[in-house]
Amino acid sequence: MTALPTSLSGKDWAIRTSGLRKSFGKTVALRGIDLTVPEGATYVLVGPNGAGKTTALNIILDLVRADGGQVEALGLDSRRDGPALRAQIGYVPEAQKWECNWMRVATLLAYHGQYFSSWDDEYAARLVKRLEVPLDRRYGKLSKGQARRVQVVLALAHRPPLLVLDEPTDGLDPLARETTLSVLAEHMAEYPTTLLISTHLVHETERLADHMGVLNAGGLRTQVPVSDLQEMLRRYHAQVPEGWSGAGVLDGSVVRRSRNGREIQWTVWGDESMVRASLTESGAAVQDVRALSLEEAAISLLSDEETSHVEA
Amino acid sequence: MDEVRRGRVVGALQPGDLLPSVRQLAADLGVNPNTVKQAYRELEREGVVQMRRGQGTFASDMAVNGAERKRMLREVANRALVDAQRHGAAPEELIDSIREAARSADTEAAG
Repeated sequence: MTALPTSLSGKDWAIRTSGLRKSFGKTVALRGIDLTVPEGATYVLVGPNGAGKTTALNIILDLVRADGGQVEALGLDSRRDGPALRAQIGYVPEAQKWECNWMRVATLLAYHGQYFSSWDDEYAARLVKRLEVPLDRRYGKLSKGQARRVQVVLALAHRPPLLVLDEPTDGLDPLARETTLSVLAEHMAEYPTTLLISTHLVHETERLADHMGVLNAGGLRTQVPVSDLQEMLRRYHAQVPEGWSGAGVLDGSVVRRSRNGREIQWTVWGDESMVRASLTESGAAVQDVRALSLEEAAISLLSDEETSHVEA
Repeated sequence: MDEVRRGRVVGALQPGDLLPSVRQLAADLGVNPNTVKQAYRELEREGVVQMRRGQGTFASDMAVNGAERKRMLREVANRALVDAQRHGAAPEELIDSIREAARSADTEAAG
């Protein structure tokens, strides 16, 4: 049977990391990840808090040094060409507070714009209006949601070829979230951009994503095109006979299993007709097969395969 | 996609009508522009729309075909059937009650 893929096929990468490792003291944040973001993709990196998402993004931007491994982004070695690379990246950091807290937002925009030759004042003004950013307030006095919107303007207004967004919808109310997604979608339609978005709330970015990587406990469980995920990942609901001996069938392809008496519910990666056939052959009577939303898929992929919801 | 097809069938979209641009629709729905492009391309393959380079996407002037209308009605029927089954009603009962509902809707409209 086919196992869950952990690498993407292709050759034009906006970002490619190999064997990225990082520990903070005794805590292992990343245990050798090979993350690849195709050029032009919208890659959503999913994982629970503490999975290593922010660490991975920070290493890509060369804001944090890795213990081992390499990052190539936009054809540059992030460690050697950090500044040149960051000049081509629009970045929304996870943390809101920084050294510009005392600036009024208008000043902050002007100041930030100085760093980028491609900064577009007119576009920045349009974004400010769309996102209802208060220009005359001090940045440090903004609410979490307002600060996040300022960050989005800062990231987009120089029209970088690569956007790295760390929890971009965090702290936004539903309306602001819709507006932000709309702004991003319009930006993508207008300028060729690669996006790397980290989130622990998949459903918020589901409509933008075309690739998904699942990071858990410092390891990349999978990275796949969303279209493959929709085609290959299914939840199978089946009845099994008393003393069923087929528990080992499809080993390596079962992403998550749960059992309740004679009913099993398995989430399996593979061609549907083949999975059905294998289950039937093992004596299970398949009753229902359904595709999963991106969020359901992410949750399945993040849960521990064997121990999840096993009820005797 | 279904919205555009429906619009075409019920006549809300006339041949030659300009559809929203990819950018506009992506922004309105907050979805990946490539998804919108794909949907338009698929509709073009089905002959529902026509993409003209640099001008936009238009409702195609192909006559609304009966097959498409039939397909849509079939979908409505299937949904109703599934729903009725869930409530333990037989197809015959459903058909009767649809007729009844249509009659009372007519009377109401007349009155």
